[in-house]
Amino acid sequence: MPPYDNRAWWLLLPALLLLGVVGALPLLAVINYGFHDIFTLSDVHWVGVEWFADILGSDRFWASLGRSLLFSALVLTIQVPLGIAVALVLLGCGRWAVWGLMMVALPLVVPWNMIPMLWLGLINPDTGLLGPGLAAIGFDYKFTGWHTWALILTVDTWHWLGLVVVLAYAGLSSIPPAYRQAAAIDGASRLAVFRHIELPRIAGALAIVFLLRFVDSFMIYTEAFAINAGGPSDATRFLSIELGEEIKGFSYGQAAARAVLYFLIVLCVVWAFVLATRRRGA
Amino acid sequence: MMRVLALLALAAFILLPLAQAILLSFTATLGGEGVTRGSFGLMNYAAVLASPELRAAMLNSAIYVLLNVSLCIAVALPAAYALARYSFMGDRHFLLAILVFRVTPPVVLSLPIFILFAELGLVNSPVGIALVHCLFNLPVAIWILESFIRAVPRELDETAFIDGHSGPAFFFCHLIPAIAPGIGVAAFFCFIFSWVEVVFARILTVTGGKPITMAIQAMFTFQTNIGMVMAMTCLSLLPGVAMIWFVRNHIARGFTLRA
Repeated sequence: MPPYDNRAWWLLLPALLLLGVVGALPLLAVINYGFHDIFTLSDVHWVGVEWFADILGSDRFWASLGRSLLFSALVLTIQVPLGIAVALVLLGCGRWAVWGLMMVALPLVVPWNMIPMLWLGLINPDTGLLGPGLAAIGFDYKFTGWHTWALILTVDTWHWLGLVVVLAYAGLSSIPPAYRQAAAIDGASRLAVFRHIELPRIAGALAIVFLLRFVDSFMIYTEAFAINAGGPSDATRFLSIELGEEIKGFSYGQAAARAVLYFLIVLCVVWAFVLATRRRGA
Repeated sequence: MMRVLALLALAAFILLPLAQAILLSFTATLGGEGVTRGSFGLMNYAAVLASPELRAAMLNSAIYVLLNVSLCIAVALPAAYALARYSFMGDRHFLLAILVFRVTPPVVLSLPIFILFAELGLVNSPVGIALVHCLFNLPVAIWILESFIRAVPRELDETAFIDGHSGPAFFFCHLIPAIAPGIGVAAFFCFIFSWVEVVFARILTVTGGKPITMAIQAMFTFQTNIGMVMAMTCLSLLPGVAMIWFVRNHIARGFTLRA
């Protein structure tokens, strides 16, 4: 048990000040804007909860929320098991594993706005390496909704798989060999080893993966906008794309109200998640 | 055998888009000035390095990322030390609060941050971007450094203080060398989030101070030289690849987190 000393807060002071200026202050400001109608910064009217009522009463909002939740669910069900599987394969590769890790980490250092460009270049029917083949089987991300979904999911998986693999690998490689030897002597099946030895060891890292992947996929903007700007006919119109449209349309009060709603949704999910993991840990 | 096939499939999936980019970056995608369309060579890289805007963008990116990483590490080290070595009122709440900042979507804060930074005169300057990226890098840096400091035995602190080292001397002469890999890993994660981020980088650079990401965006015009875009993209990957290389043996160790 570490010693109890409230003077430790002094060491947190710089971090608190920095987060206060770039985090807490803007957050309070955006909540304040959400209750106002903003024409210009000097022409601001109090409108109460009107924006919130507008947004919550519109069908488009609920449809977008459904799409974003479905997208996050798909991202998590694809990327987390795939990432763990890759980490397990790499774990069996000995000293080559580090090369595999470096390779899957590569997409993480590509500028976000170039990631959709790389993929659109790859599937370009005239010049892309995969383009002619995809065109031959009738792949058309511009006008067929589920093709757009497949493309965005593929691009997102390409981008973020490395994070899942690195974190899962970190947990897996910290398991002492004695655990596996004991399991082998007991004649445990591969599945039992995974369920009772490996999964508990990576649970902490997986919790972080779940949170980060949920938040980032739930608010996906750059990739989705660049690939088809929400189309075809709103099939990939996610929450963040609606918010982007409002900011571009200078509807700042409404955009702020929407931002506050998104923040509350994310906060609820994170809070539920923290409660769930604490209960399991206790 | 299955394992080799699986790894080959993974390698193809990861490397194919990058291969396409590298291929295009060596291809003349727009003809003109004695260059035939479709020929191979270094002309795109030459064009990138000859462009003053793109050179300035590389400098801007380097400045704001270096500022951000050093600021994050400098601020996160004392905080991580406090969290790893002491218990105090509200320590768990602090970890939760920084989690909230990490999960706040950037679009939510983009508008007030623009107005606030315009008041402070930090728009169009790399300093503004460096500051605002602390919002999500600082929590990550604190988490990583905390787990590394926790792994150092407490006896290190005690012997240093018995030997008569003061607080700052202990920090620089004993603690920092002991957790050097941790600082490397934290710097790596700060770097990769900061280098590639676009939402804040876009709103905070209206007319000037554009980083690489926004400079590439500006290259998309009516007649885009896609080969040059890809050359710039490939160049922008180099620092990231170098970072991956430096932390390759520690990258998988840095995350034993508690929230």
